[in-house]
Amino acid sequence: MARLSPSHRRHLFQLAAIVLILLLGVLMFFIGRQHTILLDNKTLEFEGKSYQAFSIVEVAVDRQERLELAARDRDKADVLGQRHVLSVWYTDKAFQEHELKVKFSVPVGQDMVLVSLPALVGGAPESVWLQPYFPPTAVAPPVSEEPVVVDDLGVIPVSF
Amino acid sequence: MNVLKETRGEKFFRVLEKNAVPILFLAICAIGIPFSGYSLNYLGQEVITRISRNSFLIIALLVPIMAGMGLNFGMTLGAMAGQIGLIFITDWGIGGIPGMVLAMILSTPISAFLGWMCGKILNMAKGREMVTSYIIGFFINGLYQLIVLYGMGAVIPIKSPALILPRGYGIRNTVNLISLRKSLDNIWAIKVFGLSVPVMTLIVIALLCVFIVWFRKTKLGQDMRAVGQDMEVARAAGIKVEHTRIVSIVISTILAGYGMILYLQNIGTLNTYNSHMQIGMFSIAALLVGGATVNRAGIGNVFLGVTLFHLMFIVSPMAGKNLIGQAQLGEYFRVFVSYGVITIALVLYEVRKRRDKARVGRLLAQDQTDVKEVK
Repeated sequence: MARLSPSHRRHLFQLAAIVLILLLGVLMFFIGRQHTILLDNKTLEFEGKSYQAFSIVEVAVDRQERLELAARDRDKADVLGQRHVLSVWYTDKAFQEHELKVKFSVPVGQDMVLVSLPALVGGAPESVWLQPYFPPTAVAPPVSEEPVVVDDLGVIPVSF
Repeated sequence: MNVLKETRGEKFFRVLEKNAVPILFLAICAIGIPFSGYSLNYLGQEVITRISRNSFLIIALLVPIMAGMGLNFGMTLGAMAGQIGLIFITDWGIGGIPGMVLAMILSTPISAFLGWMCGKILNMAKGREMVTSYIIGFFINGLYQLIVLYGMGAVIPIKSPALILPRGYGIRNTVNLISLRKSLDNIWAIKVFGLSVPVMTLIVIALLCVFIVWFRKTKLGQDMRAVGQDMEVARAAGIKVEHTRIVSIVISTILAGYGMILYLQNIGTLNTYNSHMQIGMFSIAALLVGGATVNRAGIGNVFLGVTLFHLMFIVSPMAGKNLIGQAQLGEYFRVFVSYGVITIALVLYEVRKRRDKARVGRLLAQDQTDVKEVK
């Protein structure tokens, strides 16, 4: 193999560095992407089977604090990244306490997903208990302008 | 090497003159602190917060000083690039440390291009780098406002309704960086004597200091110092003077972009059209307060400056209120001092340059007298 000249080698290193930075950027995009996971404790009917809502259930996403949901409750967890662990604590009809841990991935490009806890515990396939969710934009309240927050250096006039 | 014979008084005044600005600020703080009535705990916490928030930006100024290009007022270019990176990651919904890293990656090519352009222009305005970079800052600010106010949402795709103005294009006056807020500071924060210390941010700043120390010893760093001392001698020694000067501005601009991202992650809100304008002025003022000059600055000056300058900023409104009954006076005072210190530092630099020339003349005269006496 022919030896590369120093200038060619330098260009090769520069190219490699650019590719590496781009890959790092893509990686950061995926691991830093924010998602909202809606945790739903409502009865779900699917293909003739009914997944009954829990009278009370506790749930946590990753290492966030536990959320307690009564029947027909819905709560949300804001998370970073694609892959998450969902922990569910519930009591069955025989008053036995159970803990269920499930790993799942949020589909790429999806901002919000809805997790049906009764379907998850009831053993339904992932496509049933994990569904994309699109907020109803028509009823979304208008975003109010944030107050300007600066540190006290903001008093320095910069234009005259 | 011959030493100029000086009286003790002359030596004392020379040291006093060399450290006039830090001594002045120490005196202001020493008088202001008791009148402000703030507890030492409160002041300590504020100073720690501001060191972690501002030091990175101020360190970004050291490289062009090394290359003899004075105080880089053009660091606002890097700050704008950092802000553009932050706007994009907010639109894409990227938060935490990955969001910060991605904003830095996005800001790098913009900073590098703006720094290169700034360096090219400054090479055409040798000897007037500071005022030129100051005006370049205003010029690029106009372009930034054009892009952010009219381009984003219209030409550059921005989807988030939290960012876009109600008319459908342009970025809102403020951008909420809640997903980024204190993401670096809170990774590792410890309590020392009741004060919260953001260790991870301080580690990042320490790494930058190590980089600056290492950089000074590299071939490029030595070239910059040579160019800073005498451009013609450096050119005669085979150093590419113009290229070296451009590289110094590019490095400074890129670091300023990163510093701006660090600064804004601490504050948690981006003031889209004003944040960058304040940055250059107070970073330069803080560095000068630390005893730096137009042609000499070190890491020690950064930390002394940021401490004294911000201590004055914290103390003066309350001291003004307690002394005269009007906090507004303290506000005016600190604004006056911010501009005043830059003026004093520039005047002292010129005075010192003339005195140094005079000292060289006196040294030469002394040498000639000594030679005559020996004969």
